[in-house]
Amino acid sequence: MSLAWRIARRELRGGLRGFWVFLACLTLGVAAIAAIGTVRGAIEAGLTEQGAVILGGDAKVRLTYRYAEPEERALFESMGEVSEAVDFRSMLVTGDERALTQVKAVDDLYPLYGEVQLKPAMALDAVFAGRDGLAGVAVDPVLLARLGLSVGDTVKLGAREFAVMAELLRMPDSAGGNFSLGPPTLVASEALDGSGLLAPGSLFEADYMIAMPEGVDLEAAKARVETALEGSGFRWRDRRNGAPGISRFVERLSAFLVLVGLTGLAVGGVGVSAAVRAYLAGKTEVIATLRSLGASGGLVFRVYLLQVGVLAALGIAMGLVLGGALPLIFGPLIEARLPVPVDFAVRMRPLAEAALYGALAAALFTLWPLGQAEHIRAAALFRDAQSGVKGWPRPVWIVVCAVVLAALVGSAALLSGLAMLTLWAAGGIMAAFVLLVLAALGVRVLARWLARRMRGFKTLRFALGAIGGPGREAQAVVVSLGLGLSVLAAVGQIDSNLRNAISGDLPEVAPSYFIVDIQPEQLEPLTGALLARDSVSKLESAPMLRGVITQINRQPALEVAPDHWVVRGDRGVTYADALPEGTTITEGQWWGEGYAGAPQISFAAEEAAEIGLKLGDTLTVNVLGRDITATITSFREVDFSTGGLGFVLSMNKAALEGAPHTHIATIYAEESDEAAILRDMAMAYPNITAIRVRDAINRVSEVLQGIAAAITYGALATLVTGGIVLIGTAAAGEKARVYEGAVLKTLGASRAAVLGNFALRSALLGLTAGGIALLTGIAAGWAVSVFVMETDFTVAIGSALAIIAGGVLATLLTGLMFAWRPLATRPAQVLRARE
Amino acid sequence: MTDPVMRLKDLTLSLDGNAGVVEILKGISMEVSAGETLGLTGASGSGKSSLLMVMGGLERATSGLVSVLGQDLTPMGEDGLARFRRDHMGVVFQSFHLIPTMTALENVALPLELAGAEDAFARAEAELAAVGLASRGGHYPSQMSGGEQQRVALARAVVGRPQILLADEPTGNLDAATGEMVMDLLFDLRDRHGATLILVTHAPELAARCDRVVQLRDGQIISDSLAMAAQ
Repeated sequence: MSLAWRIARRELRGGLRGFWVFLACLTLGVAAIAAIGTVRGAIEAGLTEQGAVILGGDAKVRLTYRYAEPEERALFESMGEVSEAVDFRSMLVTGDERALTQVKAVDDLYPLYGEVQLKPAMALDAVFAGRDGLAGVAVDPVLLARLGLSVGDTVKLGAREFAVMAELLRMPDSAGGNFSLGPPTLVASEALDGSGLLAPGSLFEADYMIAMPEGVDLEAAKARVETALEGSGFRWRDRRNGAPGISRFVERLSAFLVLVGLTGLAVGGVGVSAAVRAYLAGKTEVIATLRSLGASGGLVFRVYLLQVGVLAALGIAMGLVLGGALPLIFGPLIEARLPVPVDFAVRMRPLAEAALYGALAAALFTLWPLGQAEHIRAAALFRDAQSGVKGWPRPVWIVVCAVVLAALVGSAALLSGLAMLTLWAAGGIMAAFVLLVLAALGVRVLARWLARRMRGFKTLRFALGAIGGPGREAQAVVVSLGLGLSVLAAVGQIDSNLRNAISGDLPEVAPSYFIVDIQPEQLEPLTGALLARDSVSKLESAPMLRGVITQINRQPALEVAPDHWVVRGDRGVTYADALPEGTTITEGQWWGEGYAGAPQISFAAEEAAEIGLKLGDTLTVNVLGRDITATITSFREVDFSTGGLGFVLSMNKAALEGAPHTHIATIYAEESDEAAILRDMAMAYPNITAIRVRDAINRVSEVLQGIAAAITYGALATLVTGGIVLIGTAAAGEKARVYEGAVLKTLGASRAAVLGNFALRSALLGLTAGGIALLTGIAAGWAVSVFVMETDFTVAIGSALAIIAGGVLATLLTGLMFAWRPLATRPAQVLRARE
Repeated sequence: MTDPVMRLKDLTLSLDGNAGVVEILKGISMEVSAGETLGLTGASGSGKSSLLMVMGGLERATSGLVSVLGQDLTPMGEDGLARFRRDHMGVVFQSFHLIPTMTALENVALPLELAGAEDAFARAEAELAAVGLASRGGHYPSQMSGGEQQRVALARAVVGRPQILLADEPTGNLDAATGEMVMDLLFDLRDRHGATLILVTHAPELAARCDRVVQLRDGQIISDSLAMAAQ
């Protein structure tokens, strides 16, 4: 056993007193990261293991707006058993009540994998069999509740009546689906005959789920389908990644949360560093004695490095146990709230990752004070024994600290899978850290300067003097609380701006409804009836088809503009003869009225500029399986933020008129008449679907709220760490305050004056931490809003004020928590103990 | 003889320690006259510092009377005692007890500020100059030697022109030469301001500089030079 270890062991016999902040900070930071990783691992495992169930088959081919052609269907069937499902939006109607629903119409093979959960539990065949001659449906319980329905009641879908046979609790493949605005209804495809729904031109998606024999080469199968269906706007998915959207989302959200967790470690690092500093300050005499007995600086360093190492290992171990166990304990609770299957287990990777971060963070924040301890000389025994560690560590330790920091950031960038975001975030955290350290220094200088000029205001001067004087309290409080509040401030600003982008950016007069699936012959009577109502101020309509841009200038579109949303998947396409009212052409010429020559396109100007399109370029658009190649002859202004109709692609009438299509319309009406409009419309035209804009916005907001909540919890964990550091700092300062209180009282200060002094200095430090946090939070919020989300940014005043108030309140509370003893203790006890 | 500034009668002090209740002072009765310099001496643990603390209202007597400048300290609350010290007393400690987060000047100005004096800093500067530290006003205690810190403490104790000056082994933490300089300064300041000085000390040569010496042992007065002189 080395000498250093023997001495370290003897020192550790003294127990862990004074190290609870060290342990708590490290444990909490490691636990948060381990827990996030464990939940992520559980979701990923669930998605992988249940890939086929989530997808509804080993592979799924999704066609937009059309069914598979016989030869396509034959191709699918050559690969395995095929089940067809159709997805579309419609209105579920009972009496005068109606609500938007996402209808899934399935064949009798559905589901190929997994089971549909129904209440009461029953076979799907029994649901579809219905009763009293009516076909049956299973409806989402939320939708049933909204319409005041229960199992056994009758509903209408389109023109047909159905019997509600069961509540639809979960479809096995519901997680892999798209974001939907309406709760689902499950119905047999054949039962839709005569409903008037799914008429030519209706907006629907047909899914072909294929159950393949084991051992099938999915890559080869995918290649076959890609060759056969090339350019027809299909989407292939297979069980290897059953829910790519969710996987990507989980990956990103957890990466983001890990970054928040790392911020927590940085905040905790302040506490860890302060604890080691305080410990070493208390050991100055011991170190000086060791030096006087002949111990080298290196030996002293090793002795305390070993002690800190043992404690760090303990903290990390506790963090791993906590972070690994909590998700398992709360597994059922978490699973119930997630739309995907999860498989909770203790997984090594997230734990190892958390341990690595914990060890690197502990090293980063302890090596500096340990390096400083090397400088403690034997002479400290004779003077200044309480002064603690100061000065610069040897250059080697500065280099080691830099290497550890690089390793921490590098491993986070590597392991998160989002290298750029991690590097930006790490840069942000470091910038905030440096800013807070500088701010703490600045506050001390300013406080010292002000204290000399505030001679008439004694309480304020005392407080400023205490902040500006020697000691590390100002730095510890400003940095730890500031960093925690910075994260919270950033989340607050981003959240608020995101909400604004959704609701606030809409014009004052947003449309009441979007109406889809209006058949061409229904358009005139429908618009006529609507415009006849006093409450309807405006109505816009346009023909609507869906098409995929497959080629740009005869080159595959995905190669020309691989990252642009316009070429990914299918887009709405419209046509017009005369230039529609209110359209602004930015470049080129609109085709003349009655033009029937070669197809022409008017393209959205902003998107064209992003892709790099110019007048005269050709686009090949696949509409309903038919390729139409057209020349771009004009660019138009299209503003998607107005909530009105906006099409990237508009073609001349003759090019598309012949294709089966429907119309889309937006209605601007008084809110009071919205319900009546819906009722009358649905009564007259049961096939059309109305989407209430307010509901759609609320639905999007709900999803965002969930994300914001997850991030806020992460940020709160960081703030809790900040709180622990704060309490630790206040606890460490209690002795000094007891002493200061005693001297002040000896000199004639009342308890109120002493308390006022303590409270004011706490509040001032909290105000500083809150203020700086607000600046860094706003900067981070601005960067994320402008560069990541590409929305406008405005400072959210409410959240900003809350951050500042939070900072003041947190420091005040912790300050006052530790003010009782200084106030209660009699001066003689304290002063004589120091004699 | 002038009126007593301090009157103690049957004073006892018991403190709760780790080993149970300890009787520190056992029935002390004495008077201190205005302008007197009184030396309290005795072995370690004899109770002399505790007696000084009780006299200054820093410690509360368990029983008996403590009357200072005609006011009974025993019923006073903590804040009342603090105000009383602020207005009438200056205290010097062995360990200086300067506030580490305040500069020398701020430490000296502190009692005046607490008393609401508008010219606190001007007077503090003058007092700091009187103890020879005019140039060190901006320094923090940690930047000063022990002797300098004690001189700051002296300046702080007398800046409010207290009627009573209490000093608890003010040279105990200083080397002999510095200690002597500090004592010269203490007596000089006392002479200049005419305060009553009560001094706890181990050092016989210091005690010899006092008008009167009271010796304690085991919490009781065993000799009083004034009484002996009267006899």
